Amino acid sequence: MTPLILEGACWKFGHNIPTDMITPTAYVMRGMGEMVKHVLENANPDFPKNVQKGDIIVAGRNFGCSSGRAIAPKAIKASGVGAVIAEFFSRTFYRNGPEIGLPLLEAPGLHDLVETGHRIRVNIEAGIVENLTTGKSIQGRAPSGLLLDMLRAGGLIPLLKSDAGKVLLES
Amino acid sequence: MNMIEKILAKASGKKEVVPGDIVVANVDRMVLHDLSSNLVSKVFENEMGGGTMFDPDRVAFVFDHTFSPPSQADADVLTEARRFAAKYGIRNVFDSGSGSIHHVIIENGLWAPGDVIIGCDSHTTVYGALGVFSTGVGNNSMAALGYAHGKAWFRVPETVQVRLHGPLKDGTTPRDAAQFLEGFLGEDSAVYRAVEYAGPFIENLSIEDRMLFPLMAIDLGAKAGYINPDDKTAAYAHKYSRRKQSELFKNDPDVQYAKVIDVDLSKLEPQVACPPTVGNVKPIGQVAGTEIQLAEIGGSTGGRLGDIRALAQAIQGKTVHPNVRLQVVPVTRGVYLAALREGLIEIIIEAGGIIFPPSAGSNQAVNMGAMSEHEAMISTQARNFPGRNGHPKARHYLASAATVAASALAGRITDPRT
Repeated sequence: MTPLILEGACWKFGHNIPTDMITPTAYVMRGMGEMVKHVLENANPDFPKNVQKGDIIVAGRNFGCSSGRAIAPKAIKASGVGAVIAEFFSRTFYRNGPEIGLPLLEAPGLHDLVETGHRIRVNIEAGIVENLTTGKSIQGRAPSGLLLDMLRAGGLIPLLKSDAGKVLLES
Repeated sequence: MNMIEKILAKASGKKEVVPGDIVVANVDRMVLHDLSSNLVSKVFENEMGGGTMFDPDRVAFVFDHTFSPPSQADADVLTEARRFAAKYGIRNVFDSGSGSIHHVIIENGLWAPGDVIIGCDSHTTVYGALGVFSTGVGNNSMAALGYAHGKAWFRVPETVQVRLHGPLKDGTTPRDAAQFLEGFLGEDSAVYRAVEYAGPFIENLSIEDRMLFPLMAIDLGAKAGYINPDDKTAAYAHKYSRRKQSELFKNDPDVQYAKVIDVDLSKLEPQVACPPTVGNVKPIGQVAGTEIQLAEIGGSTGGRLGDIRALAQAIQGKTVHPNVRLQVVPVTRGVYLAALREGLIEIIIEAGGIIFPPSAGSNQAVNMGAMSEHEAMISTQARNFPGRNGHPKARHYLASAATVAASALAGRITDPRT
């Protein structure tokens, strides 16, 4: 099970952040222990040094574009981040997040509402983001269907071991 | 239904699908390169505990990033991939030096019109030029649904039709047109959607040049790109596909689009994608004069026979600028052999160029193509994001083979028409 209601400090990133910047190629094949030390360092060198368990990433448009490497959401999850919320995600990142059990939420209009360091609360299933620092909130696009099933199960692999997964394979 | 909807309906055993449906489709081919095959192997063996592979003959490995391991860690990646292939009975293994993954699959005929092809590589969209539905999926999808069950899940995408009108001016190439669209339409213009490329310009292109459009659709954010299959598709399939019996899934005449965009390419100048992103595309006049130290003909969007011919034609009897290293990476063994037999390789070597083995070339600088902070490269590669080629501040410009050739001779970005 992955927690789907989360509260944490925000790290804000810009638009069109490619997976190359989330997980630099030089470390992709060097194991997760090494990869985590470099996650997002080219976008913000402080991130891998100071990210805390339960922190939340807030991004702009098309987060996770370029290469479809699933190690990008895996490395973010391994860094302790509890969820990534964005204006919208690249298609491959939007698949890979729920498949590996990293909660994602799309909330257009979000980017202007949040700054790095703000505390935010996210309810993935309800699609709501609250900025606890400013008191503002925004309704995003709550995931449904298979995406929500994967998030609830903690990813595609645990889902496929469940009854819902057997139904999926027979559909 | 359009081509993609028909293929997804067939592959998921449904009469009809509409955009928004989630389908679990049978997959005909799963293609992995050296890096992605390792990441998927780890999921399959470590996270899922191994087990039986549904059908190893549907899987193909192409080791395209590393053509000769420069370190033990790189050697271990290849050794691990070979071990996995042997253990699970994967026979379609194209080892280092075979070429760039999708071009190797195409040249070796491991596809047919009507197929569903997935890869853990975003450029898997290229087969859309061949009457195939193809797209990239994650490592967990590939292991848990693909390897284990021969399946993949998809949300049926809405489709945008981009109608292209030519002809191009002399000196402007199909690569310039595809590059132009990344800037004109925008890097996030087709997220979650499919893009159909149509119109007289597309109809008149060779299959080799058509491939550029579905290939580069990924950097519009698209799930897939495709070209409605026609007689050229059928002839190409007949020549290359190992499966001689296949069906063209053509658009129905009344097909509906989320959006139709008409683009006139007849006045287009040569285009250059400038740092930091593929969508920062400018007409050549705005960047001409920028000094470069590396020039490369290679990558999934370059290194084809047509690109090598364009280079050889431009540099025959001339000498590469002394400040520039010109790197040429044939996209497959077949292309390398053809270039050799045509005498193109000789021309390139005499002009001072360096020939590298068929591979992904400087893509992500896994085996070659890293730059220092103040260096700049111009290439036919597909991507130029910061940090993909060495120092995050190194600059990478993307252009046609003709523009790369002219720039290699001059030592600075140069309009091939001058």
